[in-house]
Amino acid sequence: MMQRFLDPVILASISSLDLLAKTVVDGFVAGLHRSPDFGFSQEFAEYRAYTPGDDLRHVDWNLFARTERCYLKRYRGETNSQLTILLDASNSMKFASNRPGSGPPSKMDYARFLAASLFYLAIHNQRDAAGLIVFDDEVRNYIRPSTRQGQMHRLLAGLEAAEPRARTNLAKPLQHFQELLHRRGIVIIVSDFYEAPQSIVRTIEPLRFHGNEVVLFHVLDPMEIKPELRGPAILVDLETDRRLEVIPEYARKEYRKKIDSHIDQLRSLTQGAGMDYHLLVTDQPLDAALREYLAIRQGGR
Amino acid sequence: MGFLSPWFLAGLAGLAIPIYVHLLLRHTSTPRPVSSLMFFERGIQSSTRHRRLRYLILFVLRTALVLLVVLAFANPFIRRAKALRNDRLLLLVIDNSFSMRAGTRLSDAKQMALNVLASKPSSQRAQVMTLGSQLAILTQSTQDVKALRSTIEGIQSSDSRGNFGNLTHGLRALNETSHEPIDLHLFSDMQKTEMPANLADMVLPSNFALVLHPVIKTQAQSVIPNWTVESVEAPSRFADSKDSKKPSVRAVVAGYGTAAATRTASLVINGKAFATHKVEVPANGRALVEFPLVDVPYGFSRCEIRIDSADSFATDDTSIFSIRRSDPERVLFVHQATDSRSPLYFGSALAAAESSFVMQSISADQSSDIDPAKYAFVVLSDALVLPSIFENALIQYVRNGGSVLVVAGVSAGHRAHIPILDESVQDVHNYSRSNAFSSIGTVDFTHPVLQQVTSEGETSKGDTGWSSVKFYYASVVDPSHDRTIARLADGTPLLLDRQIGEGHVLLFTSGLENITNDLPLHPVFVAFVDHASRYLSGDDQLSGSRLVDSFIQLRAGSTKLSDQAESVEIIDPEGHRPLSLNEARTAQSFQLKRAGFYQIRFANGKQALIGVNPDRRESDLEPISDDILQLWTGSSSEEPATRAQRSARAEGPGRSSLWLYVMMFALVVAVAESIVAGYHLGMQREEV
Repeated sequence: MMQRFLDPVILASISSLDLLAKTVVDGFVAGLHRSPDFGFSQEFAEYRAYTPGDDLRHVDWNLFARTERCYLKRYRGETNSQLTILLDASNSMKFASNRPGSGPPSKMDYARFLAASLFYLAIHNQRDAAGLIVFDDEVRNYIRPSTRQGQMHRLLAGLEAAEPRARTNLAKPLQHFQELLHRRGIVIIVSDFYEAPQSIVRTIEPLRFHGNEVVLFHVLDPMEIKPELRGPAILVDLETDRRLEVIPEYARKEYRKKIDSHIDQLRSLTQGAGMDYHLLVTDQPLDAALREYLAIRQGGR
Repeated sequence: MGFLSPWFLAGLAGLAIPIYVHLLLRHTSTPRPVSSLMFFERGIQSSTRHRRLRYLILFVLRTALVLLVVLAFANPFIRRAKALRNDRLLLLVIDNSFSMRAGTRLSDAKQMALNVLASKPSSQRAQVMTLGSQLAILTQSTQDVKALRSTIEGIQSSDSRGNFGNLTHGLRALNETSHEPIDLHLFSDMQKTEMPANLADMVLPSNFALVLHPVIKTQAQSVIPNWTVESVEAPSRFADSKDSKKPSVRAVVAGYGTAAATRTASLVINGKAFATHKVEVPANGRALVEFPLVDVPYGFSRCEIRIDSADSFATDDTSIFSIRRSDPERVLFVHQATDSRSPLYFGSALAAAESSFVMQSISADQSSDIDPAKYAFVVLSDALVLPSIFENALIQYVRNGGSVLVVAGVSAGHRAHIPILDESVQDVHNYSRSNAFSSIGTVDFTHPVLQQVTSEGETSKGDTGWSSVKFYYASVVDPSHDRTIARLADGTPLLLDRQIGEGHVLLFTSGLENITNDLPLHPVFVAFVDHASRYLSGDDQLSGSRLVDSFIQLRAGSTKLSDQAESVEIIDPEGHRPLSLNEARTAQSFQLKRAGFYQIRFANGKQALIGVNPDRRESDLEPISDDILQLWTGSSSEEPATRAQRSARAEGPGRSSLWLYVMMFALVVAVAESIVAGYHLGMQREEV
């Protein structure tokens, strides 16, 4: 039932990112309600015997009244984390296999939904600081991670303003990333990663050295994984404007082999480098990404 | 191979459209964006080859579609002799009217028909008919050439008068049951006199294609001089009477397309030349020749008027008739004992009419032991009171074929019953009481009693001599069961005719003396008595001459058929009996189809010998003019172009239009084009 609210096809019809994020996260959280494995920051975890120096605010006075023993109440997720999303806003991200409104959204829209949902989850549910870096071949927008009032609106406005242009180049904005990411936290890179896997991993790896949890959300359109050509067609690269005549036989066989190999290689290299990798296809719901974020939050606590 | 509408080939310019679209208009394929060409490789050779091939197929289909549609409108045809004609019925109509006996006309017509039959495809059906007075169907439609050929060879000329109006009438009747296309071939001498009075009667239904085959080809041949005995006027019955003049035979010799010439006319009686006269016939005119009858043997004589024509149409040089010579027959005249005027007037009129009757006058009270069967007919003048034995004898006499003239006279006023007719007098009109009179009102001139009066010298039907007759007294009877021949001005029936059994009864509601009317004082009285006596005695039927195809009444129509019905007997000119035994007992009338002498015994036992002559209009051999023939053939089909096509078909191989096949092929191509084009459009949508 709740999956319906996470379906990107339905989300694409919601114009407000705020409402969209709330819909996704509330639906997602409600779906997780019965799960014993996950908790939230204000959730009770255990009792611990009081030792001198402990903050008296955490003493469970009700228990002391009944038993005359001092115990401290401990909660999960007491610590705040910092979520930074690196959003690829290159031209390739505006690709969509369908006409607007008739199917899965474009990769850029999907990435926006994803980022908005993650921000909402982080800010409203986890009380985490959240920030945004929009980049293509350079950093185009930076919103500093914060927990201040209005941060959510700033982030959403940043997402709205992130229109695809130029081409992807991870290497160039990387130095800026390192300047901007002072504090360790969770770094999520949302991109279609049309570059050589080795180059990607080599570029991103330094982020990991700062103690960040780095997650790659690889956003692809279904037609990019399994392209269907009924006849020979002229294909235009959205980033370079290069044209190429392609026959359907190649798209059916060779191309699929190559893209599968690219994904596999990217996954193995990133995981080998201690990063997480997730392939997100734009016709799939967003819950996999949210679940991944929470898992990291628990692991990072 | 050709085109019926070649102007439509201009539409081939439409081929420029697919040529422009496919070959001249440059194809711009909408490029399809992708995120990255990182994993794609170029495949241009294969794609181009496939695309060109598919576009070539589409181009060929579109070009073919335009080409086929243009061809279909241009209506291509091929010449196919057999396949086309198979659908049409070949109808061969051979004119075998009397005029076809002239020269070799009939054999020529049959030979032409055989030639047409030989040229027909073996699978085409054909039918043979002859045209005489009626259209006669000789075969059903069949493909059996042998049967058709033998039928044509067996056609004999008839003595009938042909009429093209009957041809179209018969064909229209046939067309009501079947509307199949028919090629009508008419083999005839195209005689002008065979045309109906109205040319519209010759118009054939639209599914008939008329092809005329005149046996007379050139105009020079068509003017054939021909002499004939146009008409003969002879007494049918001839009796010796001491005071009558000797009768004579008058014949009219006519020439058609002839120069002035002297012909020899002979009266032949029973095979012997009785008299011969030279007669001067003017150019293209007529001459009268008269033969006095002197020594004709008793009984029936077979007579003919013969001329030496020396023309090619010898069959019409004689005209036959029969004369019956007998002793004068007696007429019984029954009158009131006190009435002496009516027998005087009637007897005088009978004598003046030179008719071969002798009147026997008796009063009513003397008639009891009289047998009316001995008399030619009986007149009851003012004698409504009869001895019952005589009245019964009269009734029996009438039923067996005798005839009675009942004259009501003045006794009807006090004697309501009219004998024989079993009628009663409803009223009596006595116009003289008011010092007035009544005159004749309406007269039925078609009745033999008054019809003959008209033809004998009276100028018109309105002034037959009856109009000046004054009637002072008339009885009123119910005319509902009778044929009313004449009425007075106030509607009172004057002369009625009723058939009883085989005989007739005439009722004259006034009188024969000069008291009830002044009819006996008028000349028309003689003619009236003459023809009334001829009609009542039935002499006209027994001899004389008739025309071919006329009908003769064998028995009264009202006779009830029974096993005891009297048989009639007919012996035709060839000596055969044309009626079967059953027909001899039941037939009401008989058509005289052949020229010659017919011997007939009627149901009432009377014997007759009748000479039958062909209609003399057949002797005028002048053909129909060419422009009328063209008009006729034109009227049988719709359009001049179609007519020309059909006549061309009659001469040579026919044209079979292919437009339907071309159109069907175009439809198939259109469907294929739609499929291929739809595939291309679908691909372009995908590319967008």
